[in-house]
Amino acid sequence: MASPGPKTMPLTGGATQKKAVVFEANGGKELRLSGETGIWIFVVGDLAVFTLFFILIMLGQREETAAFATSRAMLNVGAGVLNTLFLLTGSWFVAMGVERYRSGHLAKARRDLDFAILCGLAFIANKCSEWASKISAGLSPATDNFFMYFFIITGIHLFHVILGVGVLLYMRALTKHDSVSSLDVLKLESGGLFWHLVDLLWIVLFALFYLL
Amino acid sequence: MRASDGNRLFQTSIAFCAWSGIASIILFIIGGVLLGGMIPPLLAPDDPPSEFVRKVSEHLLAIRVGSVFLMLSFALFGAFGAGIAAQTRRAETFPVFSYVQLVFTAAGTVVALLVAFCWALMVFRPDVYHPTTVQFLADFAYFLAVFSVPVFGGWCVMIALPIFLAESEAAPFPRWVGYLNLWAAVLFAPGQLVLFFKHGPFSWNGAVALWLPFIAFFLWILIMCIVLLRIAKGRTSASALN
Repeated sequence: MASPGPKTMPLTGGATQKKAVVFEANGGKELRLSGETGIWIFVVGDLAVFTLFFILIMLGQREETAAFATSRAMLNVGAGVLNTLFLLTGSWFVAMGVERYRSGHLAKARRDLDFAILCGLAFIANKCSEWASKISAGLSPATDNFFMYFFIITGIHLFHVILGVGVLLYMRALTKHDSVSSLDVLKLESGGLFWHLVDLLWIVLFALFYLL
Repeated sequence: MRASDGNRLFQTSIAFCAWSGIASIILFIIGGVLLGGMIPPLLAPDDPPSEFVRKVSEHLLAIRVGSVFLMLSFALFGAFGAGIAAQTRRAETFPVFSYVQLVFTAAGTVVALLVAFCWALMVFRPDVYHPTTVQFLADFAYFLAVFSVPVFGGWCVMIALPIFLAESEAAPFPRWVGYLNLWAAVLFAPGQLVLFFKHGPFSWNGAVALWLPFIAFFLWILIMCIVLLRIAKGRTSASALN
């Protein structure tokens, strides 16, 4: 945004031009952040918010260690492990898909994204069944502070996963274009970054809720 | 000649809108933070009604003066929002998103003004009102401010969409501004939790449901105003106005 553009400056300048500026600034060497600059605002911003959540959980843990331990014992570690596997596998497929798109293998990239979407849906289904079993066992956000954090924060995370599946569907639609374009590469990388963020946040939440 | 006159007028009016936004932040800090006790919150949702009356009676004059500043601050949202809509309007042939944005701007302004009304009424005659009425007015003010997620979040999304959907050469704002708006919308979302909790981080005096949306909201205004000022300082050419 700060670097002055050429004379034919558009209204504010777009992603492709930005990329060109970065490219020149590196002496013609391809050395740039993955995805659009803007997605990093979102990623860093979301990390900051979840850091607040992590701190809240840890403060609760410190203040009510015994109560947290009792409540934690009621969680099903298997469900947590399964969900971690779903997201990690999904991340692997997303990374493969973006790489294959870059090298022009559109159909293969689309298949990778199909598997990633399936992993996301499996996470959502597993999360819902886990919640349903907790609620039918009489546990709710009103039970205690541990379950308040558990339901609300994993709920906010689940909302991210649902958004992420939407992003993956959009990425999949991009692979249906006839050819690879540099703007679409940026969009796919940005979408991939969002998915990795969702994955990363879950790994920390998994440790804080199930393992401590 | 006429084009450059129009350009200058456009830049001046965009600068006016940006400074309106910055003024609204300063007025909010005076009215809501320093005087009014809105944030950091003077009151707590799990206090008994008598405690609400006791606390506001102790700070009667400060909250009254603060409410005047709050009213001024929130009334400026309209100019701020219209400035953003005017800029996205330039990139749209059929300005649907810009119109929707204006609807959200107007709705958001009214919701925010009602916050100031509630805050002012709360200290109008707390000794005469039934204590639960004082409590209710405080509840209502915080609900208007943070439970109103779709109004303010929708506003942000309606700014992001025309940025993302524009051809990159015709984008009304840099694309990172689009991501910033989506992020702001996500940060407002925990405000809806206030309905379900009366104490802790998810209640209307908590870190997640109050501090997060408030800080995000005023930071969002500040960054949008800085971007608008850059546009006003002639990072646009006269030909782009056509």
